Amino acid sequence: MVYLPTLEEWQRNAALLLQARPASARITTKYHIPNLDSKRYASKKRQQPSGEGQNEAAPEAARVPRAVLEVKAYDPVSGVTLKFKTEKSADVGRLVAGLGRMGRTMAALPERAEGLEDAVMEEAPAAEEAAQETKPAPAPAPATGGGGGGKKKKKGKK
Amino acid sequence: MAQGHVSQDEFFTQLTSIIEKKQQKGHGSVFLTQKRLTYDPAKPTTTSEAVPGDPQSDLHPTLPLPVIVRASDGETQSKDRVKNKDHVKVSTIVQPDDLEAFFTRYAEVCKASMLSLRKRDRKKRKADKGKKKKGAETGEKKG
Repeated sequence: MVYLPTLEEWQRNAALLLQARPASARITTKYHIPNLDSKRYASKKRQQPSGEGQNEAAPEAARVPRAVLEVKAYDPVSGVTLKFKTEKSADVGRLVAGLGRMGRTMAALPERAEGLEDAVMEEAPAAEEAAQETKPAPAPAPATGGGGGGKKKKKGKK
Repeated sequence: MAQGHVSQDEFFTQLTSIIEKKQQKGHGSVFLTQKRLTYDPAKPTTTSEAVPGDPQSDLHPTLPLPVIVRASDGETQSKDRVKNKDHVKVSTIVQPDDLEAFFTRYAEVCKASMLSLRKRDRKKRKADKGKKKKGAETGEKKG
């Protein structure tokens, strides 16, 4: 399992995973609001022993749970897991737009359908490249599932 | 348990209510999953339109396939490992033609309801504290 540092990086790697395993790879998005009452967060509170009545009220008000949005691309066949975590609300739109693009890959649709007129020139070489890419990609992937995973993990650690 | 698939409208209302519930509660998780739908409910025995002699037929299917999107509140069981009867999970099937419209709406729903994430101005105020994050951002620019 790898956490990738940026959203772009995650999207690039997840897109590669989807291209290699379009039928089995899945993308899970988790929106998590932490429970500040749980033991995990309570232990931190105890580290500042002081006047209970006054001090507790002030930090309680300031302690607003900070939610986390985590997106995970997982392929059960090879066991590859790529994750990205963010706290910024600005990332939601970008992230879901990326999910839409990957949805197109899952549905086996060409990458960009809209703006066909402009993209005609670009699409022709892009399609050739894609064909070249997909041909060598399946060869190592089914041989050893872990191999594909290892490759991606190395990329993530950079 | 298995409620079957719902329409997109129903899915979005359910999704909104799941997230709202968590927001009100103050903590919890919402899980959203998407994957290709290779299982055809009309033909329960065939898993996919596999072409005999071509083990990689799923890499280049003849027709665009639908995508299944699931949403869950993650509360499958209580702390004592007892199955939770109020567990909410919904799924919807998005046909290839509807993908664009679906994800536009999906983004709107997510943006509107995920309110506990860090806002823009907050980040600027805390810019000095988050030195690690600054490093990540510069890395972003390079790459």
